[in-house]
Amino acid sequence: MNTSFLRISIWVYLAIFFAYLLGPLVIMSITAFNSSGFPRMSPWECLTFQWFSELFQDQRILNGIKNSLIIGAGTVVLSVAMGLAGALMLTQIWPKLRATYYTIIIAPILIPGVVLGISTLVFWDRINRMLGLGADSFLSNGVFLTVIGQSTFIASYCMLVLVARLQRYDIALTEAALDLGATHAQAFRKILLPFMRPAIASAAVLAFLASFENYNTTTFTFGEYPTLTIELAQKVRYGITPAISALAFIIVALTVFFALLNEAKLKRQELVAAARKKATVEELAGKIKLPSFFAGNMAAVLLVVFAVATITVVGTATAYNPAQCIANVKEQKQLEAEQRIQELRKQREERRKQREAEEAEQGDAQQSAPKPSNNSGFGNVFAPNTLGGEEDEGAADTEEQPSGSNNSGFGGVFDPNSLQNDQ
Amino acid sequence: MPGFLKEFFNRNGTGMGLAILGLVLFWTIGLIILPQLSMLDFSFRPNLPPPEIGGPKDVYTLENYKYLIYGPEGGSQSYNAVDLRVFFRTLIAAVCVTIFNLIICYPIAYYLGQSKGSHIRIFAIMLIIPYWINEILRAFALRIIFGETGVLNTLFMGLGIFDTPFDFIRNDIALYAGLGYAYILLMIFPMYNVIESLDGNQIEAARDLGAPWWRIHWRVVIPYAKPGISSGCTMVFMLSAGALAAPQILGGPSSLWFTQLIYQQFNDNNDWPQGAAYAIVLLVTCILFVLAMMRLFKVNMGDIGK
Repeated sequence: MNTSFLRISIWVYLAIFFAYLLGPLVIMSITAFNSSGFPRMSPWECLTFQWFSELFQDQRILNGIKNSLIIGAGTVVLSVAMGLAGALMLTQIWPKLRATYYTIIIAPILIPGVVLGISTLVFWDRINRMLGLGADSFLSNGVFLTVIGQSTFIASYCMLVLVARLQRYDIALTEAALDLGATHAQAFRKILLPFMRPAIASAAVLAFLASFENYNTTTFTFGEYPTLTIELAQKVRYGITPAISALAFIIVALTVFFALLNEAKLKRQELVAAARKKATVEELAGKIKLPSFFAGNMAAVLLVVFAVATITVVGTATAYNPAQCIANVKEQKQLEAEQRIQELRKQREERRKQREAEEAEQGDAQQSAPKPSNNSGFGNVFAPNTLGGEEDEGAADTEEQPSGSNNSGFGGVFDPNSLQNDQ
Repeated sequence: MPGFLKEFFNRNGTGMGLAILGLVLFWTIGLIILPQLSMLDFSFRPNLPPPEIGGPKDVYTLENYKYLIYGPEGGSQSYNAVDLRVFFRTLIAAVCVTIFNLIICYPIAYYLGQSKGSHIRIFAIMLIIPYWINEILRAFALRIIFGETGVLNTLFMGLGIFDTPFDFIRNDIALYAGLGYAYILLMIFPMYNVIESLDGNQIEAARDLGAPWWRIHWRVVIPYAKPGISSGCTMVFMLSAGALAAPQILGGPSSLWFTQLIYQQFNDNNDWPQGAAYAIVLLVTCILFVLAMMRLFKVNMGDIGK
């Protein structure tokens, strides 16, 4: 009784925890398909793919992706090289220096990214000035500074990954190679590097991802080359649109895809190894019957399901046209707005009548007619012009290509609807 | 040439040795130590236009640090109440985020570390996936949820708990949830690594000897997991105190994070020395705080990062 209660509470806790962890990503992905100008799930308006096309037409995002790739490549090369050198140094450094050295190379992980960005900027600015170079020299270039700033701490991550594998390396292998007449460089390239390859690959992936998503350091160093993260941050800070959700959805989908792919591959290797172990000598001599790719491989099954789902979605996207639904929603909104305006008009009319009556009571001396214009206290906000605005927008959106009609550059900030919904 | 350097070159060959040494020196001295020292030096200087740098006015001064404590000269208040309040609020909030993360992550780390089975791998993937998504997008996702017409408000109003939308962003709930969300993995991973290596027999033994579950954790698991807990806490504390994206996106309009002040000094006021001084204050305070906590809980520096 007690244990089953404990078991249930563990599962409930796990469910809540993973809902907190994954829920936001799921909801964000769903908002990418809602036609509402402000990213939200409810009320659901129409299924649409317009935010994706809008995303791919956004020059700043595309440019940001390009810069991110360049900077990511530079960071991977520099930080894997430094991380490997740092790891090699750690295994052979003078024991008395070891603790100090370890503290120094591990410190960048703990130093706030903001501080790293500032110190990089300040330091290279000073070097630049000491060398007497101008403001447009190589040393004050945004790409250079960002690569340097990011590598400072990403190299520490790489070092940790690499040193874990290096500790399992048998130094006798290198010594044997040297005894057999290899040079140090040859021993390094032919013996150590192949041994380190898996760790180098994971360090490189880690470095690229860390570089791609870094914000705190890059925000001080990017100069003229804003990365994707910087562009996203600026968009998110000054008005959010579902186009960002669309980008997020793509990134989430890619991440899930590669995670499943990796997992399926690992699982398959395990299964193959297990099959080899069980196989008899004859089987090994001939053909061993390897388990098929899907047998007992959850991740592989999920991978296929995921791929099919993606193809379905893309297929629907090319065939599906949400214009009718969007038009309906607009119409409904317009009707609602009209209704509201009618009500306000009625109210105003009543108030005017009341006032007229009051003024009539007040005296016959003042014969001037009451001005019907702006004294209702609402200003012009509810004047019929607002209705015109709604109509314009509705007309624009029912056209064949609605993208870019009302969200150009400002991300829906000026959409009359978002005024009521945005924070 | 000192003995250990000679040995180093003997072992790696001259070319390889030079390459390794060069890269390590570039990293440790050129990228880590000198920039920090340069920033420290910079923070003691007045804010001068470029032509005057190195001129007679370029002298060491405590002005930038005084500014944080006393505010602008001739100001109406005797202390720089605004910036100091932001500073302490940041530290306290970072501590709260760390404790919150520790509490919610400990059961998960324990569960993942101590149970066997293939579903653990799936859980691990589910843990890592959010961490691969951009920091900005994670904050953006939470903003969609906590917005005035967001999922939470719709849900609560639908259930009749609130009559009017609750402003999660203005009340900083979104910010704390976002910071906690951002660094969950950094808390779970070190703890998981340590707890995984704990021999299950120790727990069994404690159970056989009649210890209730909370005492097993208190006397067996937590003391064993202390290095993992402390490195998780250190990372979460340092990173949330130094976070910039989450406060910028999820923070209320009136509440600032200390890193945002630094950002403003650099980008809006164009006062680099002032910004550098603020950054130094943040860095030094955080390090001192972590060291004090480590001494309080008797943790060694060497345990961090394992």
